[in-house]
Amino acid sequence: MSAPGSPLGSGALIRLVAAREVSTRLRDKTFLISSAVMLLIILGVLVFQVVLGSGSDERRIGVTGDSAALGPALEAQGEVLGLDVTVVDVADGAAARTAVETEDVDAAVLDGTGPDPELVVRESDSTLEALVSGAVSSVALGRVLAEAGVAPGDLPQVSVTALDQTSAADQQRTVVAIVGVVLLYSLIILFGQFVAQGVVEEKSSRVVELLLATMRPWQLLAGKILGLGALGLAQIALIAVIGVGGALAFDVVDVPGDLVGTVGWVLFWYLLGYALFASLFAVAASLVSRQEDLASVLTPASLVLFVGFFVAIQAATNPSGTLAVVTSFVPGLSPMVMPVRQAAGEVAAWEVGLAVVLMLVAIALVVRLGGRVYSGALLRTSGRTKIREALRSGRA
Amino acid sequence: MLEFDGLHKSYGDHHVLEGVGFTVAPGSMFGFCGANGAGKTTTMRIAMGLARPDSGEVRWRGRPLDEGSRRRVGYMPEERGLYPKMRVGEQLTYFARLHGLDAAAAARAAEEWAGRLGLGERRRSRVEELSLGNQQRVQLAAALVSRPEVLILDEPFSGLDPVGVDALAEALLEQCRAGVPVVFSSHQLDLVERLCDAVGILARGRMVASGTVEELRRREAGRLLRVVAPDAAPGWAGAVPGVRVVSERAGDTVLELAEDTDDQVVLAAALRTGRVTHFAWREATLVELFREAVADPAQRTAREEVAA
Repeated sequence: MSAPGSPLGSGALIRLVAAREVSTRLRDKTFLISSAVMLLIILGVLVFQVVLGSGSDERRIGVTGDSAALGPALEAQGEVLGLDVTVVDVADGAAARTAVETEDVDAAVLDGTGPDPELVVRESDSTLEALVSGAVSSVALGRVLAEAGVAPGDLPQVSVTALDQTSAADQQRTVVAIVGVVLLYSLIILFGQFVAQGVVEEKSSRVVELLLATMRPWQLLAGKILGLGALGLAQIALIAVIGVGGALAFDVVDVPGDLVGTVGWVLFWYLLGYALFASLFAVAASLVSRQEDLASVLTPASLVLFVGFFVAIQAATNPSGTLAVVTSFVPGLSPMVMPVRQAAGEVAAWEVGLAVVLMLVAIALVVRLGGRVYSGALLRTSGRTKIREALRSGRA
Repeated sequence: MLEFDGLHKSYGDHHVLEGVGFTVAPGSMFGFCGANGAGKTTTMRIAMGLARPDSGEVRWRGRPLDEGSRRRVGYMPEERGLYPKMRVGEQLTYFARLHGLDAAAAARAAEEWAGRLGLGERRRSRVEELSLGNQQRVQLAAALVSRPEVLILDEPFSGLDPVGVDALAEALLEQCRAGVPVVFSSHQLDLVERLCDAVGILARGRMVASGTVEELRRREAGRLLRVVAPDAAPGWAGAVPGVRVVSERAGDTVLELAEDTDDQVVLAAALRTGRVTHFAWREATLVELFREAVADPAQRTAREEVAA
């Protein structure tokens, strides 16, 4: 008899199972389409931000006569109001009106440095009016002061002390965290479902008997969860790289360091959340033998996941509220609530540490008890298995 | 030797196995028969580690089957199990790898077995697209693809057409000739009789008979003698000492002879009545042996008392 292959260790078996899961999913249309949709959404959000940013903040202002004094003043005022002002020279009043009517410019200033300045706009625009009158009066004021022999530097200057220096950056990080949590929630649901469907498929097609003749239940479970987990991580990382890269390239965010930090934490919490929920889903799925029965056993775990998602969205508006603080420690809810709190910058290091430890304890418990349920229920193909029966006959 | 030794298993109050034991020599084929629910599947699942016996063990080459040695066993479960959406070739490669073959060897073995079992053209089809018969072949290929040292097959012939049965039988005989002990269960007793070197009959959780078909025939007391003497008067055979008439109809009699009765004496008595057109020992078929073996013991005792 020819020699069979060398006996496989746990590592090799788990890798084989994981590789099969990955290659099966990579050819699965549902997976490919959902991945494409998620990428499109992220790209869409980016493009939307870029269009919003560039479209609304630019103003072209026509100026008759000499724009040497008024031009820089208009630009300076624009900067104060957050507008990007471009000054265009126009020949005279008639040309200015034509330029406004043909939408060549947004507004035109006639005789801006003279005694009787006039602003021509298509329709009343308070921002532009404030911008232009500010610029015109500052030029006039400068001239009057110069004529009176006062140097502009003698005027008192206002110095600014911001009490909350990071508020704008905080807001941006919170938005990133919310986008991250939406992704994290969808991917945990998606990949948790994949794990659950895989377990039921193996049970309903009875292929599990052949598999368990070559490996232990925990090796099968580990291979499945790790394989799909790696795929999910690759997907969320790809989305993160494209999102962050795009945001930096198009200048949508101001503080790159904060953005990268927040994204990093979302990835970290994805890993913990996936580990917990994928195990829960797998164990629940092992109790039934038909895909039709799957929804009912997955409901409790899905509900926890949904509550976490809901609280996280709430926490974004009130990150230091009691609800957000308490739930950010509860295993199962923490992967979604904690990144939002962290992004808002309201969390001490020990709080994060505690939430992580609690989550790890929960994962260890689910894997240990769940592993027994899984192995006990896997070979029972008659209808629905009760958890207690499965625990009794488990052989992890 | 593949040894099943003293297997006991009960689910609650229901005793499924009560001391099942038999041995299969390398290079021999063992047919496992028994009524539905007799415990055949449970016995095989215990060998594969899919059920735990309350006591007893299964040994291969003198050592209890464990995780490692089970990987050298080719197994075909009663309820067929394959990934429905996986392609035939990939599926076979996967199972070969789970049994420890490296990637290249697994791919070669998958190709080889798909070809041998007539699945060459369907290698790239998904299992769910195949006919039931072809799915069965894939299932067998999955059991054979890792070049197992032992084959344990639960109802491998069920659902196959005669051509499929022949192909499968040929594949199993080939494995046997290569020195692999083969255990398979079947309700098709003619097949078991044709293929197997040894037969075990399971009833009510016990092995009620095991051995070669010949041994079973010999052990089963009271072979039957059929004599056709058209001109004989009714009751002619009853007068011969040591002969019991099992049935008699218009000169066609079936007789059961006592241990020391000479069949030639019976022939002489028959010839005295006139012409004899038929005189032959009737070989019990495995079906009859099976019926006899699994019959309720109470009825059997009653019949033996009548005979005596």
